[in-house]
Amino acid sequence: MSYRERADFDRPTAESVQRTRRSSIWLIPVVILQQSTLIFRHDVDTFSQLLGAICWTALTVAELWWLLGLPFRWLSERDQAILNDEWSRSVSGDAARWGIATAALVGCGMMIARIWVQLDAGIAIYALVNSALFVAVGRYWWLDRDQPDEDD
Amino acid sequence: MIERLGNRLKERRTKLGLTQGQLADLCLVSRKTINTVENGVFVPSTLLALKLAAALGVSVEQLFWIDR
Repeated sequence: MSYRERADFDRPTAESVQRTRRSSIWLIPVVILQQSTLIFRHDVDTFSQLLGAICWTALTVAELWWLLGLPFRWLSERDQAILNDEWSRSVSGDAARWGIATAALVGCGMMIARIWVQLDAGIAIYALVNSALFVAVGRYWWLDRDQPDEDD
Repeated sequence: MIERLGNRLKERRTKLGLTQGQLADLCLVSRKTINTVENGVFVPSTLLALKLAAALGVSVEQLFWIDR
């Protein structure tokens, strides 16, 4: 058993960030649902609109955090190198491709659907952006889903 | 014809008594990268292949080859 120095005790490590990435993915759909109840309701009070805007920003930051490889300055060079290694970049790239493909498909679907259904611009943007992000994060989670045993 | 990258990573690593985690630390990558390269899931870049070969004390050609 090893112990970390007191000064380093509260600092994140590559391993702890990897664990967080794998274990907190379920938060994303919850945040999306939460946003959907608030962000396009212009009739609610200022506090609720502010809360909706914060939710939207929080989700955006979380997505970027996952997809762009965590360029956090407080991590050591070793931890940054591990978190942005080839496997992580490969998985992020694949997830981004899936997200872009989803955006293209959903956009195409909306263009066809608007022949029959009148689309609200805000809802359309919400659906387009979040479907792409949802698929991208889901793909990321699937490819990076578990830490294999030492010799699996 | 499907071409795959064969490797002797696990064989060489275990011969040196290294775990995947220790090899990952030597190359500054995650253990998952080592695991996926060993299992043929992920094809490493030239840079990583050179780092792996250096860490394991062999040439790249001894470590990797094309399976046809």
